Amino acid sequence: MALLESSAIDAPPAAGRQRGSGKGGTGRRAVGARRQDNITAYLMIAPMVILLGIFVMWPLAYSGYLSFFKINYYTGSKFVGLQFYHDVLTSDEFWHSLWIGFYYALLVVPIGIILALLLASFIKTLSKRVAAFMKVTVYLPAVVSTVIASVLFTFMYQDDGVVNWFLSLINLAPVAWLNDPQWALPAIAVPGIWLGFGITTLIVLAAMLDIPDSYYESAMLDGANFRQRLFRITIPLLRNVLLYLIVTGFALAVQMIDLPLIMTGGGPVDATTTPNYYIFSQFRSPDPYSRSYALTASLLLFVVLGLVSIAMFRLIRSDKAVDG
Amino acid sequence: MPKRRSTFALVASALFAASLALTACGSGGTAKTQGGKTVVTFWQQKFEDYQQAWFKKEVDAFNASQDKVKVDYQVIPADTWAQKLQAAQAAGNAPDVQTTNYGNIAAAVAGGEIADLDSLMPASAFADIKDNVKSFVTIGGKHYAYPMLVEPSTVLYYRKDLVQAAGLDPNSPPKTWADLLTWAGKLTSGKVKGMTIASVGPDLGWSSWGLQYNACGHLPVADDWSKSVATDPCYAQLLNFYKSLYQSGDMPKTPKVGYADGSPYGNGEVAMMAGGSWVVGQLKASFPAMIAKTAVAPFPSIDGDPTKTTATLGGWTLTVDAKSKAKQQAAQFVNWLLAGDPAIMADFFKASGFSKYTVRSSVDQALASNPDATSDPFMKIISSQVVPYGKAEPAYPWDIALAFGTAIEAAMKGNLSVDAALKKADGQINDVIKKQSLAGTQPTH
Repeated sequence: MALLESSAIDAPPAAGRQRGSGKGGTGRRAVGARRQDNITAYLMIAPMVILLGIFVMWPLAYSGYLSFFKINYYTGSKFVGLQFYHDVLTSDEFWHSLWIGFYYALLVVPIGIILALLLASFIKTLSKRVAAFMKVTVYLPAVVSTVIASVLFTFMYQDDGVVNWFLSLINLAPVAWLNDPQWALPAIAVPGIWLGFGITTLIVLAAMLDIPDSYYESAMLDGANFRQRLFRITIPLLRNVLLYLIVTGFALAVQMIDLPLIMTGGGPVDATTTPNYYIFSQFRSPDPYSRSYALTASLLLFVVLGLVSIAMFRLIRSDKAVDG
Repeated sequence: MPKRRSTFALVASALFAASLALTACGSGGTAKTQGGKTVVTFWQQKFEDYQQAWFKKEVDAFNASQDKVKVDYQVIPADTWAQKLQAAQAAGNAPDVQTTNYGNIAAAVAGGEIADLDSLMPASAFADIKDNVKSFVTIGGKHYAYPMLVEPSTVLYYRKDLVQAAGLDPNSPPKTWADLLTWAGKLTSGKVKGMTIASVGPDLGWSSWGLQYNACGHLPVADDWSKSVATDPCYAQLLNFYKSLYQSGDMPKTPKVGYADGSPYGNGEVAMMAGGSWVVGQLKASFPAMIAKTAVAPFPSIDGDPTKTTATLGGWTLTVDAKSKAKQQAAQFVNWLLAGDPAIMADFFKASGFSKYTVRSSVDQALASNPDATSDPFMKIISSQVVPYGKAEPAYPWDIALAFGTAIEAAMKGNLSVDAALKKADGQINDVIKKQSLAGTQPTH
């Protein structure tokens, strides 16, 4: 913070710099100050750039290099060119896993955000004390380990579990939630939503509290009803936050591995084999082929997720927030 | 301002130095000597608790028995084994000795990962291995692993009391798959299901090998690994058997545990169970009250012929890493533990509750004088009626086994018709064969 303040003081405003450019002394001072600012800025970002370089950029570049080889730690790796890219891209299982990942994301992200919007709207209307209690309650699932949630829901979905007990009251039980290809993915999406919607709710609530009340007061004076206020004021002003939640939520959901790993083992009949689970399963095979295949599949997943994220940014245009 | 800049420069430098230090940490090697002794690292995949206790006791005994070699014993959980081993291999720190199952030996040899043991162990050690097991550890005429045990993958366990209560004869267990379906129906009562068997692809991938042999006399790949034979009509009968059992409602549709775990039977949730011989050990250790009520039998055959294979003989070996700098010492330990005094392995089989089977003639002789071993009713039936007809686990890549296991699962759960499931598996297996260039690469013994 101190540095930001000092930078702000040292750096002349842009207009000032333009005005002073014609006078030699002032110009040199401006150039010198700008250079000092640049050095400070580079120094500030240097640790992060170095760490990113060592732990992200270099491994990523090296992975890309290795994907052209059939990796063998003993007899030496063999250059195979684009063979693994061809093998992954022509694999039905890889595309199926991508579809499962997108399907899971489609189940989890929109429902999670809608629930969060509803809950945040409700919490906003509560008194301070009750709202605080609600916020803690809503946040609790976020501090529960995915492993614990998986085990908990696995027991709930058993033939003699609580879910089937409820269904038995209306003669619909038992449903093999985790062993029926039709139900398995929706069944693991429920804990997925439950684990994530606490944080989503708090983020949406914080963004909602930032919307000035005067907007709503003016709208109400003009006779706007709840629906109009929601769609004309709340959602447009939450656009940036919703974009963040959709993009990050989507990327995280497609990469889900814990729930299928613990609850279904990717089954039944690959119905919950998400991309990361598929890659992980390949990696665990003992043969060198699977090792290189898993590496290439993970690089392609990275590309797919990047492209999807870019598409989302394009579709939902992000604007700078308008401060009231 | 200059002071601030120098502070930032200092922080940046410190972070840079720390990151370099962290990077350097990863490049260290394992100490090979300690107190004048050569250190041999031994990774054991975690099995039943008694096995860890037995390994630890014997490693301590080996370390105390001489002053040249110190075995550093480490237990690795099964679910992290692959990741840890690959990370260690990539870093050049793979263990000198590791547990390897029969099915993975061929892949490890093809990758040059394990050492040929013929020059490291005496010939007499290999002469002691039973003839039907020798081929499990031999590739191209060389021994790449020393076998520890075999355990049939599929045996039928049934509750004598429930069978009797259902009006069936406990002394005449089902002989055919059709008999088994009838028994399962009659034994299903209330919350107790008549039968349980694997119902998820990864479990079916390996636990059905014995029944794949039973149905067709071969696995769903040509002998020279050139093409899939998954659409052979005999496999349709196998898939129909699994489908009938699942869709009859006579087996649990949401299993709480995997195939390898016999606790649903131990807890009294099912009257019959298909399980590996290791379940005998589990019942003795965790459900002793169930022992008196339990009988075992060979798993029923497609046509009632008891001499047809119903189980593969899985099991574990010890292998020596090809890059080990202490190969001779590592092999010395393997020889002492698995091929040395027969009393050591006899003690292991006793600790297992005779749920696993010896691979050495001399250990058989040692057990013959043990009254516990000779009087064990489960051991008698499994070793005389299941093991002699057992076959080795396949050496082809796991993707092939998984494709076929998933086909069985798809048929069971009605995802696909039997024919469509087999056709899909056929395409997947051929895809694996093509992409991994498997044709003609089958191991020769």
